[in-house]
Amino acid sequence: MSENAANLPEELQLITEAHVKYIQSLDTRKDDYEYWLTEHLRLNGLYWGLTALHILGHPGALPRDETIDFVLSCQHENGGFGAAPGHDAHMLSTVSAVQILAMVDAFDELQARGKGNGRAQVGSYIADLQNRQTGTFAGDEWGEHDTRFLYGALNALSLLGLLHLVDVDKAVEHIAACANFDGGYGSGPGAESHAAQIFTCVAALSIAGRKDLIDIDRLGRWLSERQVGRGGLNGRPEKKEDSCYSWWVLSSLEMIGKTHWIDRDSLVAFILSCQDLQGGGIADRPGDMVDVWHTVFSITGLSLLGYPGLQPVDAVYCLPKSTVQRVLG
Amino acid sequence: MADHSGVSHGVARTSRERTAEQKLVETEKITKYRELEDEVRAAVVRNEYTPELFQLTSKLLRINPEYYTIWNVRRRSLISGLLSKRSAGSSPSKASPSTSPTATTTTPSAASSSSSSTATPPVPESSTAGKSSSTADEPAFPPSNPGDETAAAEQKDREILRLELDFTIPLLMKSPKCYWIWNYRLWILQQAIERLQVAVSRRIWEEELGLVEKMLNRDKRNFHAWGYRRHVVEQLESSSLAGASMVETEFEYTTKMIRQDLSNFSAWHRRSKLIPRLLDERHADDMVRKDFLDRELNFIREKLNVGPEDYSLWYYHQFLMLNLLNYVGHPTIAPTLTNDERAAYITREIDDIKDLLEDYPDYKLIYEALLDYTLSLCQVEGRKPDSSEKEQLIEWLRQLKRLDPMRDGRWTDLERDCGLLKLGFGKN
Repeated sequence: MSENAANLPEELQLITEAHVKYIQSLDTRKDDYEYWLTEHLRLNGLYWGLTALHILGHPGALPRDETIDFVLSCQHENGGFGAAPGHDAHMLSTVSAVQILAMVDAFDELQARGKGNGRAQVGSYIADLQNRQTGTFAGDEWGEHDTRFLYGALNALSLLGLLHLVDVDKAVEHIAACANFDGGYGSGPGAESHAAQIFTCVAALSIAGRKDLIDIDRLGRWLSERQVGRGGLNGRPEKKEDSCYSWWVLSSLEMIGKTHWIDRDSLVAFILSCQDLQGGGIADRPGDMVDVWHTVFSITGLSLLGYPGLQPVDAVYCLPKSTVQRVLG
Repeated sequence: MADHSGVSHGVARTSRERTAEQKLVETEKITKYRELEDEVRAAVVRNEYTPELFQLTSKLLRINPEYYTIWNVRRRSLISGLLSKRSAGSSPSKASPSTSPTATTTTPSAASSSSSSTATPPVPESSTAGKSSSTADEPAFPPSNPGDETAAAEQKDREILRLELDFTIPLLMKSPKCYWIWNYRLWILQQAIERLQVAVSRRIWEEELGLVEKMLNRDKRNFHAWGYRRHVVEQLESSSLAGASMVETEFEYTTKMIRQDLSNFSAWHRRSKLIPRLLDERHADDMVRKDFLDRELNFIREKLNVGPEDYSLWYYHQFLMLNLLNYVGHPTIAPTLTNDERAAYITREIDDIKDLLEDYPDYKLIYEALLDYTLSLCQVEGRKPDSSEKEQLIEWLRQLKRLDPMRDGRWTDLERDCGLLKLGFGKN
């Protein structure tokens, strides 16, 4: 793999420095209307950017103290985190907060400076969002259910060492009910298989220690069929390829041990062709606008593909392997 | 970008450089937006959920429907004054509508105080007052006494909920993949169940199917719209809306969608999910089930004969074929078929697909199906492939490697597995 990558033409190399600069610039674009319109994603964005930087081997490219201060400034009394100060608490931003604090090794800061009793407060916010009858999780007090939230809950709680606060068996039952005959999973029972939802279900089953429930052969087939055209991956049958599925599809294949069921070199080439060679950052497809979401999931995808010079990423948590090892031991 | 999800899909890259004039316009927009946002936040901090705040949320959400906190502010504004006071809690996450008895969802409690006293905090009414004003088994008709304040409050709620549904339509048309708009709409519909007479709220819910139709006509694969349709149908079937099974009409709907477009993968998926329930509810006996399977197989075979490159068709064919295996934990169309009958079905399909090869020697999906179904046949008959089957498997794998080199690793694994062919292969 590494030899093949080295043989690629020069314009198809990963332009690490430019990506680092691009990510560093994201919080300085305050004269950009889009910056204000996307405040509801600030904490998620910080997680995406920081993860990309860690995988690129530049973990210190964002100031640690400011990062921790910002994360803690998003917390509510109930323990949950909003996307930014003044935004309501939500599962998605709470999970991002926990992941960021894990990455910068700051659970002690959460314990000391977080609301209420630190970790436990965050844990109880997340646990309260579980529907004890069905095992599902809501995104917030208004009650939308989705396997994304279930995965997020298991992800954050296991990092915090608080998985016992929820009914994991019920959660697993719910995931089993989301399975389709093609081996994939949807956003809920009855929903068609979708690569990103598959990632959440397979990763949640991994955390719960129940990968035995996965129909590995059928799922592997479905996932490998996501590779189309010039080598990019799509999220559902008969959809266009998109660089972010480099993560959702590939991490799922990794968790079931089937990454060799797709063509690595053409996927690497596709991802690299989505880079903005001038400004840094990675887009969904070649020539499109870049954003931090496609940037991180392209880079973590490249890491799974063994692209040279990248730090290894954990397929279940979407965090640097070193972080997961440090936190979970 | 079409919405403000912060994620650019399919937006062509343009220069980040702006002219001085563009910068000025941008600065102006930012200032206006932030002023509006500050106004909303200041009211929230003061806990002033007034109609004025409600209006501000309309303005802000039209600019940025992804701003989930503002949808929550809007909900709180409604609960805090615009909608009538009621006894039930406001958290829809606790509702499990498909099982809730009708008694819990009849007329909301009488709000004797004027519902326009918008500045008052949401103090829950005592539930006894509500119970005395209506009987649990009162059917779905408007209250007989038109002067009833409950009726007036309900009428007002109905108008507000209607306006809220209208409010989200242009936003959905502009941002059909924005989770928050769909969620808000469902929350409003849930309010209809909790606040309005069953018949009234049922009519409102029924109209949702029209919206889904519209959204699916614009994008037949929008999984938000498909998921929304599933949810709406579930509710319409539930006792909270005095519903009954809609499995027959839903099944017909998939037939209609498939006729319009054979490649509608999402419609095929929905069909596969409905079938077990459809047959159960028809109390189908073995004969009927077998007929059903025959009809579906004939239908799909006919389509495959003219469109063997269509992934959706093969997907549904695979689903039908899986029904011929003892696929543990999955309901089957014809569960009482003998192994001999199953083998006969599978053989028939394999023979037909082999015929396709004569006209279409270069479609990988055909080879994949042949491989898959031949291994299924061996599984049903509890044996390993015989020597002629092995030869065919080798040939088909060779073709797959030729036609689909991207998945070479998978074909190589399969080749290895076929070579070893331990007992129980394919039962994974």
